[in-house]
Amino acid sequence: MLEIKDLNIEFHDHSKPETVVYDFDLSMEEGDIVGIVGESGSGKTMSALALCGLLSRHDMKKTGRILFEGKELLTCSRSEMRKLQGKEISIIFQEPMTSLNPVKKIGWQVEEALRIHEKCSKEECYERAIWALREAELPEPEKVYGQYPHELSGGMRQRVMIAAAIVCRPKILVADEPTTALDVTIQSQIIRLLQKLNREQKTAVLFISHDLSLVRRLCRRVVVMQNGYIVEQGDVEEVFLHPKEEYTKRLIAAIPSCDPGKPRRPRPAGTVLSAVNVRAGYRSAQAFLKSGDDKEVLKGISFTLGKGEILGLVGESGCGKSTLAKVLVGLKKDYEGEVECTGGRGLEGQPQEGEASQGKVRMVFQDPYSSLNPSKTVGWILEEPLRLSGGFSKAERRKRAEQMLERVGLGREVAARYPRQLSGGQRQRVCIGLALMSEPDVLVADEAVSALDVTIQAQILALLARLQEEMGLAILFISHDLRVVYQLCDRVMIMRDGEIVEEGTPQEIYFHHAHPYTGQLLEAAGLSAGA
Amino acid sequence: MMGAETVKKKMNFNLLAGAVLTGGMLLWIAVGFFYLPYDPEAMSLELKFAGMSLSHPFGCDNYGRDIFTRVMVGARTTLAVALGTVGIGAGIGTLVGAVTGYFGGWLDEVLMRVIDALFAFPSILLALVVISLLGSGKYHVIWALGIAFIPSFARVVRSQYLLLREMDYVKNARILGCGHFRIMFVHILPNTLGVLVPTLMIGFNNAVLAEAGMSYLGIGVQPPDASLGRMLSEAQTYLFTQPIYAIFPGLAIVVLVLGLSLLADGLEAAR
Repeated sequence: MLEIKDLNIEFHDHSKPETVVYDFDLSMEEGDIVGIVGESGSGKTMSALALCGLLSRHDMKKTGRILFEGKELLTCSRSEMRKLQGKEISIIFQEPMTSLNPVKKIGWQVEEALRIHEKCSKEECYERAIWALREAELPEPEKVYGQYPHELSGGMRQRVMIAAAIVCRPKILVADEPTTALDVTIQSQIIRLLQKLNREQKTAVLFISHDLSLVRRLCRRVVVMQNGYIVEQGDVEEVFLHPKEEYTKRLIAAIPSCDPGKPRRPRPAGTVLSAVNVRAGYRSAQAFLKSGDDKEVLKGISFTLGKGEILGLVGESGCGKSTLAKVLVGLKKDYEGEVECTGGRGLEGQPQEGEASQGKVRMVFQDPYSSLNPSKTVGWILEEPLRLSGGFSKAERRKRAEQMLERVGLGREVAARYPRQLSGGQRQRVCIGLALMSEPDVLVADEAVSALDVTIQAQILALLARLQEEMGLAILFISHDLRVVYQLCDRVMIMRDGEIVEEGTPQEIYFHHAHPYTGQLLEAAGLSAGA
Repeated sequence: MMGAETVKKKMNFNLLAGAVLTGGMLLWIAVGFFYLPYDPEAMSLELKFAGMSLSHPFGCDNYGRDIFTRVMVGARTTLAVALGTVGIGAGIGTLVGAVTGYFGGWLDEVLMRVIDALFAFPSILLALVVISLLGSGKYHVIWALGIAFIPSFARVVRSQYLLLREMDYVKNARILGCGHFRIMFVHILPNTLGVLVPTLMIGFNNAVLAEAGMSYLGIGVQPPDASLGRMLSEAQTYLFTQPIYAIFPGLAIVVLVLGLSLLADGLEAAR
């Protein structure tokens, strides 16, 4: 049905022509389900966009052939391509928050493809839109039809995207990281939905992801890409169990494993951070002269963090993880309960009095692209904490910043660069370095590795573990990724709706969990209990 | 095809052309402080509408004054008015925008309603009100136009602050213990330049034109003082019989505005 041969894609809008995809080959039959796996920059999305005709015709040079049912897509006219787009070939994107038009009703957006491609009456359009919404397993499709995107959750929006994509019953559905922005439980529901569509509608699915375990669960065949080249392709189980290429082996090795026999450190004696019955909330819809309703996000959180301990905090989005982090680092001041950080090391050689005698909590954020000031150099950013605390000469500040860069595995020359000149992994190293500049007692890492590729993720995890060891740091590691938490943390807390439902060592939580919600999370992540 | 060289060349061209035009204009204006070929206010009946000649390269105006000299002096006035206007508008506007966007809450509500009220009047009308309160004259024009220019800057800067205050690096600065003032002006302000600089350029162009408009209405620069806008409005009467009078002041405005625009573009690209 679909045959891609020797596809090369070259960028021309950048400073120099740059090839992003080399000799891409892929063939798909009806009802196939194929995964493309690769890290960012591997060209996986580019190949898919080329298939959908969504790449610029001016700035990019494409050579090779894309045959869809005998028709050449690379050379056909725009109007011919348009007849296929949305009808025979549909796409769903990663970000459900931006891929729907916020000022149009859901029904209108789902019907859009019908209005363009098929002559059908209003009633017929309505019927088919409702069918598609039901097919995408949205509860109460009639109600959703009349709603606006902002009234729906992320998972529901992604279902609406799927409904809009399948309303014309396409032959191929391209899914570009459709679950990356979603929670694990929603993620596994979307995966099941794609499987069902594939089975019942015979829709071929081209699933693009960086998540190998997801691809393994969903797809029959897999294509592994690196730097624009196809490294390896074949049957999923075959590739996973007997990878031939070095890169595939590395990728698979970078998936954190949950080995029940992993040795654990004994629980440390002293406590460095403790929270007692912390409650916090937000006012929704705050407006002039009008107070909104209070929404309680943290409903009495108590926990302690030991000296040099790495504590994992796991929960889905909206459970209050980030709010807790804000309370701990002092970004959110209107909370009830007690938070005490008793570290009191301060900067070496500095007298400690007043606030300085209190322990310091610093934070590493999720998105390495927004957590560094784009208009300052890395060196300036790293020196800022020293500038604020005062008492350091210019040369001293510079020396310390350079030492920190080396400590987090970057070269001294990085100090002169701007954040935009660094890769995501390098930026996250700088963020960690910045957090450590003021020699904190506790580091709060809020989804610090979630936005990174697997191999980079593994490096950053190793860095965190090493720094913890070297500096005797306590880390609160917030994540939704159970595998990562298992690998890194000494102790795990499971959080749901502002409450901590379960707490224990990774072994206890992962293999002998007590709370049913923990079980749900583990199952959604493909880590069913006892396995 | 747009290769590396083409992009670089284009960028350098803007920077170079902008620097040459602006630099030339500034040099010309600076020379005027030390040396003027003629007295800019000396009238002469014989020289009324004298054409271009070696002794009067731009010709003479309806009172027989040397246009070359008057453009030299007028460009000085216009530049001062435009810079002053943009300075006041951008300075106060940025401050208001930064404070309202960063803090939000009641401060935002109150200050922005004031700004909205300012916005509701056409800027020329607003300037007229200020002039009638202060009296006319060059410095009063600067204040009048500057106040009228505040809202547009405040709006632009506020929207940037609203966006940027949510960035993680701002939160991080707060965790590190930065004060509000430092966050607003050291951490956030440089990141608004991408939007602020083009707004400054547009503001500058508008200020040159607004000054011309005010002078035309007779409430700006008072005769016999010269400003480019004042000269243009005087020349308008003779546009069809003596086009030369209008061309040179007009050309000076174009060079001034174009040069600065190109310079800003070039600097932006080179950053």
